[in-house]
Amino acid sequence: MSARDLALQDLSTVADAIASGKTTSVAATEACLDRIETWQPKTNAFLRLNGEKALERARALDKEIAAGQRRSALHGVPMAHKDMYYRKGELSTGGSAIRRDWQAPTTATVLQRLDAAGVVELGFLNMAEFAAGPTGHNVHHGHCRNPWDATRITGGSSSGSGASVAARMVYGALGSDTGGSIRLPAAACGVVGMKATYGRVSRAGALARSWSLDHVGPLTRTARDNARVLAVIAGHDPDDSTTSEKPVPDYERLLQGGVSGLKIGLALPEALVPIDAQVGAAVQAAADALGNQGAKISTAKIPDFTALYRAAEVIVKSEAAAMHRPWMEANEPYANQVRTRMEAGFFIPATQYIDALRLRAHFVREFLGTAMTDVDAVLLPAIPFPIPTIAETDVEASGGPATLAMVARFTGLTRPFNTLGIPALSLPCGFDSNGAPIGLQLIGRPFDEAMLYRISHAYQGATDHHLKVPA
Amino acid sequence: MDDRTRTVAGIASGLQGLKYDDKRLAELAAELQVLNDAVREAATRYLAFDDEPAAFASLMAREAK
Repeated sequence: MSARDLALQDLSTVADAIASGKTTSVAATEACLDRIETWQPKTNAFLRLNGEKALERARALDKEIAAGQRRSALHGVPMAHKDMYYRKGELSTGGSAIRRDWQAPTTATVLQRLDAAGVVELGFLNMAEFAAGPTGHNVHHGHCRNPWDATRITGGSSSGSGASVAARMVYGALGSDTGGSIRLPAAACGVVGMKATYGRVSRAGALARSWSLDHVGPLTRTARDNARVLAVIAGHDPDDSTTSEKPVPDYERLLQGGVSGLKIGLALPEALVPIDAQVGAAVQAAADALGNQGAKISTAKIPDFTALYRAAEVIVKSEAAAMHRPWMEANEPYANQVRTRMEAGFFIPATQYIDALRLRAHFVREFLGTAMTDVDAVLLPAIPFPIPTIAETDVEASGGPATLAMVARFTGLTRPFNTLGIPALSLPCGFDSNGAPIGLQLIGRPFDEAMLYRISHAYQGATDHHLKVPA
Repeated sequence: MDDRTRTVAGIASGLQGLKYDDKRLAELAAELQVLNDAVREAATRYLAFDDEPAAFASLMAREAK
């Protein structure tokens, strides 16, 4: 198999081929490095590439396979991660200028788990500064560019994660999601992104945006790949007291159930956000495809998200202002659009912040009791409009209100699920008239990631959007 | 400068040690009004005396599939 062909395989196929001796971790790593050489200049997805170190690691992992030792279903697979997962003694910029030369004092739990599973780490990926930004703009390290059209945004904040997986530079990548930062780049770049239930994946050693709303998760080419990565990184962590002790299911085994008889609520909530006709049609077509496989499609009733969205903003701004205070007081170099989004946090009364946290349980009860009554999952758009250009969404010189309006436009259908803490997955479901991907979201009950993977796997078995590759 | 902007200006200089120009103070005051009003109204409508932040984690565990 040529290096190009190998790079175009999905994570699970390559991992299984490594296990069976049909290929090697070195060959898979070299295939990724070839892709990176071609696609990095076009996308700026990587902030740091560690090619030699990755090959050295791949050689060691191949020796283990030759000796009959397979660490996990990810053994030998090359991945790269958003530059906010700490690795002890190594740079971790968080996409910022402030931490351009900062070395992490510890290694993130999720990286420790991927290391133990035998993953090859190719390097660290571009991201919005301090994980704050839904587009992929970065004034310090250069904007990340969409592999489908380099003039268009990747989505953010996990911009490099979305772009690198879409361009087949890596087989999978970690992102993080505080208001949509996994699902937005997954949707804009045409890959699968999972924001699992709050508490399902450890945040220890991951740069925080907002402790209460941050979620760690994978971006991959297929639902199966995503399930395989989540199974490795999920689970209780003594270093993150918010993680659940609930056992991690075998997500990959649970993929096979099909959707016949499942109940899926379709939501095209025009009353909440304007939904472009192309996006609405693609999401409707996805519902029809699932209906053709036996799923029972109904109309989901979505509660008004206004208060819930505002509560999320209160939480994010308060927590971000607290953690960034020393740097903001010292006038450290932030992008305007990052600094202005945090400033309000200095003026929010503690009572409002606490009430926003108290309201979360109410909002969860309300959503489960309306949208998810008698359904297994809810289906709705991820980004409700065609993917815009980098120039169209550049608000760096436009001031605070323009930034807030831009963020609200992107995150109207994603941020609510961070407040709710329930699982939300983004999946490619078509292309707009500009040739850029369209993404749908699947929303599940707490800790029911397996249901979202099952539906996604059935959908990808009947469609080919995820198989298309940027030229 | 209206009352709410003056309040923000007072917190900035008197409590937080921050300096902003009048235009930015007015923008912040407008942003804060929207956020605080939404949370205060929701809290009045939906929260009871015994509701606490940790109820969220308990509910997620109870509703887990």
